[in-house]
Amino acid sequence: MAHPASESNHAPGTSDLVFSPSDLRLTGRQWLLALALVIPFICLAPRVWTWIERFDTGPDYRLPYALSRDYWLYERRLTRETVPSQVIVLGDSVVWGEYVRPDGTWPAFLNRTNAAGYHFVNAGVNGLFPLALEGLVDHHAPLPRGQKVLLQCNLLWMTSPQADLSSEKEEHFNHARLVPQFSPRLPCYRADATERLGAVVQRSVPFLGWVNHLQDAYFQQKSLPGWTLADDGGDPPKYPNAQRNPLAQITRQVPPAPLVDPDRGPDSPRHRSWSGQTPGRTNGTTRFEWVPLVASQQWAAFQRMVEKLRTRGADVFVVVGPFNEHLLAEDNRPAFRSRRDDIVAWLSRQQIPHAVPATLPSELYADASHPLTAGYELLAQRTVADPEFRRWLGTAPAPGPSR
Amino acid sequence: MLFHTWPFALFLLVVLPVFFALRGTRFWLPWLTAASYFFYGWWNPYYLLLVAYSTLLDYALVAFMDHCPKAGDPGEVRARSLGAGLADPLLRIAFGGSVLATAAIGALAVWGPPTLRPACAGAGLLMALMALGAWLGSRRIWLLVSLINNLALLLFFKYARFLVENLNALFTTWHWPVSLPDPAALMPFGAAYLLPVGISFFTFQSLSYTIDFYLGRGERERNLLRFATFVCFFPQLMAGPIERARNLLPQFRQFPPIQSRNFSDGASLFLAGLFKKLALANYLSVYVDRVYEHPQDQGAPALLLATLAFGWQIYFDFSGYTDMARGIARVMGFNLILNFNAPYLATSLGEFWTRWHIGLSSWFRDYVYIPLGGNRAGPWKTYRNLLITFLISGIWHGAAWTFVIWGLLHGLGVVITRELERAAFYRNHIPAALKQAAVFAFVSFTWVFFRAESLTDALLILRRIFASGWSDPHIPLLMLALIALFWAYEQLSASRFQAWIHTAPARIGTAVFMMLYLLLGSSGGGAFIYFQF
Repeated sequence: MAHPASESNHAPGTSDLVFSPSDLRLTGRQWLLALALVIPFICLAPRVWTWIERFDTGPDYRLPYALSRDYWLYERRLTRETVPSQVIVLGDSVVWGEYVRPDGTWPAFLNRTNAAGYHFVNAGVNGLFPLALEGLVDHHAPLPRGQKVLLQCNLLWMTSPQADLSSEKEEHFNHARLVPQFSPRLPCYRADATERLGAVVQRSVPFLGWVNHLQDAYFQQKSLPGWTLADDGGDPPKYPNAQRNPLAQITRQVPPAPLVDPDRGPDSPRHRSWSGQTPGRTNGTTRFEWVPLVASQQWAAFQRMVEKLRTRGADVFVVVGPFNEHLLAEDNRPAFRSRRDDIVAWLSRQQIPHAVPATLPSELYADASHPLTAGYELLAQRTVADPEFRRWLGTAPAPGPSR
Repeated sequence: MLFHTWPFALFLLVVLPVFFALRGTRFWLPWLTAASYFFYGWWNPYYLLLVAYSTLLDYALVAFMDHCPKAGDPGEVRARSLGAGLADPLLRIAFGGSVLATAAIGALAVWGPPTLRPACAGAGLLMALMALGAWLGSRRIWLLVSLINNLALLLFFKYARFLVENLNALFTTWHWPVSLPDPAALMPFGAAYLLPVGISFFTFQSLSYTIDFYLGRGERERNLLRFATFVCFFPQLMAGPIERARNLLPQFRQFPPIQSRNFSDGASLFLAGLFKKLALANYLSVYVDRVYEHPQDQGAPALLLATLAFGWQIYFDFSGYTDMARGIARVMGFNLILNFNAPYLATSLGEFWTRWHIGLSSWFRDYVYIPLGGNRAGPWKTYRNLLITFLISGIWHGAAWTFVIWGLLHGLGVVITRELERAAFYRNHIPAALKQAAVFAFVSFTWVFFRAESLTDALLILRRIFASGWSDPHIPLLMLALIALFWAYEQLSASRFQAWIHTAPARIGTAVFMMLYLLLGSSGGGAFIYFQF
């Protein structure tokens, strides 16, 4: 500390900076050379990676649950799927199929109806909601003009101020990076400026999305150093990755969904009717604290999103539902119906083609909004039977994509 | 606002262009002051008052000091007589103001709101001392006021709770029916009792100005804005390096020359600092925190490796911050002192302290060790002075017994090895690698006290390092590889092959590697360790 040999390393008022021998010190020209190597890498790596990495999608493909936050992969998939003979089905976990296998979802059954020769692409994302879907559409959905988009409107997000993200109490929710970070203000979203700005930067820079893809796809949603320190959750924990080579993890193939998913499909214990969970239950007792549409953040986001899609030239069709009206208490149903009717009225006023399929039978719902496999099948049949939907589909596919 | 966050990037994007645009006008300095205050206020706007108060008081105190005769001046004899200061108009104003302020604040201390009384009582006593200083025209009293004020702020915000807890524990042991209140109860208007970030740094920096002026080593700064910028210059406000007025203040006298070298140097330093912080320190911290959180569950290898890893973590964290601070200042054309100079290459403990946290080390050398007598009064007094200096240095780092012991251990280490380091045999016949290893081992051993949550934990960790059996430490190979790479780089920089790392391909390669690693593998944010000091 007070070693006599120590002397001030900087003479008073001198103009030059003192460097340690180990300090990195590049000249201006060396900086230019370094940036000439790094900037092309930043610009090209995500694009080149799409040639290097295999990404197999079958007809009923949906993004695996583990890759729900991989928006770069989502964008990559939509870029590939947006052709005139495809219909992009956008929505939350109802579209994605929370309780069912990939071949038991709404888009999968729509495909089996062979409606006007179109192929329906399951572009639903687990855990999404209109405020986040708006961000997804804004930043990660490259839809060409004339692209047919089937949009699902889920009233579940207006069932309470918490679900609507309009409560004052802090809420932690999925896909926070997609919601509006500064405006409109979400009172329950309390991220600090660092997080908000980070989210804005990340969704604007494809390279960062690609890095996030590598982490999600190969490193268990962790950064590379974080992966080396990941524990197995045991007690005492083990650290299986500590001595493994991280680079060997990158298999250059997007991990597919597990062949057998114990949480989804008819054989899963979760795949049960909500009314079947309590014998004799056919009428609900649930009373939601419905948010008025004029005050709903989620509904406002949905409206903005529809307008943006149409401004971008997308051919949008909205399906309102399928909401499980059976679980509502009798005195809570009018509130639901009035909101549904207001939504339909707005869609009509905006001349947006839409359908409101009849509520499915009680036993075909798993919860408030998710159908079971048979429910999706029935929903697909009812959707295709809807005259307006048929009219919408009956229009000839738009000429080649223009971006 | 941390240097490695997006808000800071945005802040720089606004501050730098405006700063350069104001070249040739007289507004660049106010802009720098405003930017620095905004930077500090981002953390907690209320504590801006503290910085402003400290700045104003020290500025005024030096002005008053300037109006008093120096030791040896003809007027000094006059200054010893009562009321001599009142001959000077400025001191007359200071006297009148201080007397009035003492009366007003004293009244508040007696009859004011209860939450304000303790703060008013302290301020009232300080004002009374200022009135005395003005009356006597004594430079020494003005210096005393500055010392009391700065150290009292530090004492209250940093050490009061530690002192109260320990005193209350003593009173209980002695069965005294006394219990001191928690310092949070003394906060005016029930404000939160938080340690103001960087208080240890800006108070020391401000103090150095008053002490240097008193000792005749520095000039008085007449421009308040310039002085305010010196105290709160945003790159080094939170965690140093602690600057001296004679180095930094002259740099604020005119707009610095804009040179391309400033940008390339500044960017180099910033990149190196960012890499040290994000890629190295944050990564190591996850492992160290995990091991030190439950030392009782860890085996000897994990505790030993975590202790060694902490030595690197704190080095990367603090020197990374310093590099970034120096880099940002350099981009603007200002030169901050070198604060770290490859400390783990030191071949003696004394040398270690000339390479580690140089700003603080030299501060303690100049303002504690040398005033105590330094090495001028024989070996025993030198040892005493070293021990006192290191003890204070330990306390500076934090209000806990672990820091006291850490400081004492370093003091003892320097005292014990002092003669050894001077011996020709040690200097000429012991391989440098062995000496480096010994210094690193000792410093790492002391880090146990620095990092442990409590003294009990520190002792437990040391006991388990020596007594518990083998178990897999689960340290990632990537972590070891990164440390080894950095160590090799520093070794190379001090060897006869150092020219290799300064060739253009090596520099460009290093920079590209750092950028790519940061882009692809960084593990995110986390505050700097030294912010808590």
